[in-house]
Amino acid sequence: MAIRAAATSAPTARSSSALSLPPPISSSSSYSSAQLSFGRAKSTTRPRTTVGCAISCTMTREAAAVTSTEKDDSDPALWSRPDSFGRFGKFGGKYVPETLMYALTELESAFNSVKNDPDFQASKLCISAVKAELGGILKDYVGRETPLYFAERLTDHYRRPNGEGPHIYLKREDLNHTGAHKINNAIGQVLLAKRLGKKRIIAETGAGQHGVATATVCARFGLECIIYMGAQDMERQSLNVFRMRLLGAEVRGVHSGTATLKDATSEAIRDWVTNVESTHYILGSVAGPHPYPMMVREFHKVIGEETRRQAMEKWGGKPDILVACVGGGSNAMGLFEDFVKDKDVRLIGVEAAGLGLDSGKHAATLTKGEVGVLHGAMSYLLQDDDGQIIEPHSISAGLDYPGVGPEHSFLKEKGRAEYYCVTDEEALEAFKRVSRLEGIIPALETSHALAYLEKLCPTLPDKTKVVLNCSGRGDKDVQTAIKYLKV
Amino acid sequence: METHHFHFKTRRHNYPQVVCANHRVTTSKSNVNPSVLRLHNYGNPTADLAKERAVSADETKRPSTGKFGRFGGKFVPETLISCLEQLEVVFHQVLQDPEFQEELSTALNDYVGRETPLYYAERLTAHYKAQNMGRGPDIYIKREDLAHCGAHKMNNALAQAMIAKRMGLTAVVAATGAGAATGAGQHGIATAAACAKFGLSCTIFMGTADMEKQPSSVDLMNLLGAKVRPTAGSFKDATSDSIRDWTEKLGEVYYLAGTAVGPHPCPTMVREFQSVIGRETRRQAAEKWGGTPDAVVACVGSGSNALGIFHEFVRDPTVRLIGVEAAGFGLNTGKHAATLAAGEVGVYHGAMSYLLQDEEGQITCPHSVGVGMEYPGVAPELSFLKETGRMEFYSASDEEAVEAYRRVARLEGILPALEASHAFAYLEKLCPTMPDGAKIIISCSGRGEKDTETVFNYPIS
Repeated sequence: MAIRAAATSAPTARSSSALSLPPPISSSSSYSSAQLSFGRAKSTTRPRTTVGCAISCTMTREAAAVTSTEKDDSDPALWSRPDSFGRFGKFGGKYVPETLMYALTELESAFNSVKNDPDFQASKLCISAVKAELGGILKDYVGRETPLYFAERLTDHYRRPNGEGPHIYLKREDLNHTGAHKINNAIGQVLLAKRLGKKRIIAETGAGQHGVATATVCARFGLECIIYMGAQDMERQSLNVFRMRLLGAEVRGVHSGTATLKDATSEAIRDWVTNVESTHYILGSVAGPHPYPMMVREFHKVIGEETRRQAMEKWGGKPDILVACVGGGSNAMGLFEDFVKDKDVRLIGVEAAGLGLDSGKHAATLTKGEVGVLHGAMSYLLQDDDGQIIEPHSISAGLDYPGVGPEHSFLKEKGRAEYYCVTDEEALEAFKRVSRLEGIIPALETSHALAYLEKLCPTLPDKTKVVLNCSGRGDKDVQTAIKYLKV
Repeated sequence: METHHFHFKTRRHNYPQVVCANHRVTTSKSNVNPSVLRLHNYGNPTADLAKERAVSADETKRPSTGKFGRFGGKFVPETLISCLEQLEVVFHQVLQDPEFQEELSTALNDYVGRETPLYYAERLTAHYKAQNMGRGPDIYIKREDLAHCGAHKMNNALAQAMIAKRMGLTAVVAATGAGAATGAGQHGIATAAACAKFGLSCTIFMGTADMEKQPSSVDLMNLLGAKVRPTAGSFKDATSDSIRDWTEKLGEVYYLAGTAVGPHPCPTMVREFQSVIGRETRRQAAEKWGGTPDAVVACVGSGSNALGIFHEFVRDPTVRLIGVEAAGFGLNTGKHAATLAAGEVGVYHGAMSYLLQDEEGQITCPHSVGVGMEYPGVAPELSFLKETGRMEFYSASDEEAVEAYRRVARLEGILPALEASHAFAYLEKLCPTMPDGAKIIISCSGRGEKDTETVFNYPIS
């Protein structure tokens, strides 16, 4: 198939100096010659400005074949996630300008060397007195391990009249320092950057959460920190901007494009290309070019590992279902990763349907998107007929990303994970419901996952163990929610 | 014993003068015999809690007077006395009930996120050592800011909500103040959250002045399902209103004291539930460096977080207990909240303690940039610790607190609540005096995201 051929030729094209364009696409009738060919940023000489981004978005008029729901019966433990080229099946990869290739390779080898370094490791962190650098910081600074909390009143709420119903547990990532799971990755990456001798950290941010997490860890480790933020976002989130400045970071406004997250990301990547020797780019999610999706997942997988242990302690078994919201996909991958190989555990991701899937104002990438390349990776994304990225919408800024991590695309295609979506309104209802029933105010992002329980629980047999990732706290969303809920 | 005539005046009435035979109301600093400490069931600061509690339960099988030296007590209308006595009985019951303790422990772990870490503040330590030729104390931060709802208040709110349920009450009222009542909103929020979790209906009284200062707290409480009832004035008026409400609805409603003030048994109850902080700290200190801290520093508004961490160490003479109050605009300006430093002894909200009063015995309006510090009284137990010389107390001004907030943010990536920032501010004076390698534990009683705007708008001199 044309796409696959192109995909596998990408890595070899990297090393050869000759242009090697993919074979002409003739097999599928949905292509016209006017379509731009599938290409890598390196081998096509598309000028940067056309899409306003160094990492260009290519369009592949891929037919619906990839959305097939045929489950792959192969053993998930045998899947390469990712393979040596950074691919998850056909997703992932490294669609970046040549200047960044070296930095990515360097990053990957640094990460691999620390991954197995007992002085760095996180996974044994909570068992006994921890000397491991990362483990110690996660425990004392971030506040791990986070509890697995039995949500009694929420469970009662979903109990059916005959007394049956699932048991709902919340993995309390909202109790982390800075109030979300983001810091797990920020800490890991900053430690990695220090090992690499980098003194300068850059990051992009939408609503400010990842920016604040990055600024926090840079303050903790005394590194220079620059955060790129869309000018529009800066206005909407002035308090977060101030917080980042208080923490010693420099916040640079991005005015190009729509002055929002994707433009900030492009600007950050541009900075990195320019300053790659001294600078480390902390990507906030499991998106982006290899090795980021893998690295960010590895730093978050402590969530799932703890959950496994806590589930064993609490009920002597595994969870039956894992539920998490999906924006870029980091908190979901963090919870899912340790259980991907356990086929008896259902993995459910919940995206934002915004104002509704038909309204065009949503961020349901895996439901309504198509395959293309964004920010260096091949994955599902929301694009229009000209292959331009569609501005997504969700009431929650963290889910407001037009792409999704390549590994999620892969898990969806394999049928290993299921993805649904929930509207703004349903999320707000869940926000209020959980606040009232459990005294926990969840982030609006998390509220999407909590909202999906409304549809999920009635279908579940008695005593099914559901673990939901409470990925962040909702103090930051109270003003927004109040406006809509008129509480 | 010297007698002194108390002259109580309220806004409208002149109460008759009352002779108080047993109380000296001068602010004498005489050191009381340390054996006095033993009278107050400090017990054995070891892990043998049940035994300690059994002992104290025996001693207090009949409702006690709840005195700490001459402080504390139950200065309340007669209607409340039987209610308080009942509360005390239930309190002692739950302390010894293993089922209650287990449920509480699970909730503290799974819901609140305990135990909170004892975090070695590397850059803050280095900052102070650098100012002193590389020599200085090691600073550890007890991270109560990581607790659910972002402050230590939850430890107490949770336990008391469970007591309310045990007593069969379905409604809770909380006064507003630095703690229970909501000056900063933290106790109101914690109470609302605990009530939501246990399915209790919740009413929070809050002063209108405070509601204006922190409207986001009101929103949070509403979201959590609580009803916020405004009171003209500030938290001290709200506290009075909530106690009045409780008196009207005795038997239907549970009064959830947020801090270690009020009539007995409230101070003891709150201290008991907050003392989990100190117990964890002792264990963590032993793990980390095999010893006890040399100094424990905490901010003092009404005193619950301070007592929570101090209580465990009261009987360790090598551990200095340092409380830091709010000096507001300065101790001599009259616009501060430094009760122990500048107050006198009197009765307020049902207990004898230090308080800020004018010449006619009227409570003055305290001020601090850390709204949670703005309580014109202080826990009677802390008054006692002050008078026996067991505790040292200092104060930090608004400006010093804001500076400390910024400093800790920049050096450690932690935003401490402005209340806790007062404790951090005191490090500036403390560290140069401590020997190299001394261990200081500072209680970060809450997180400071709620204060970002205040710090933002604070005029930099």
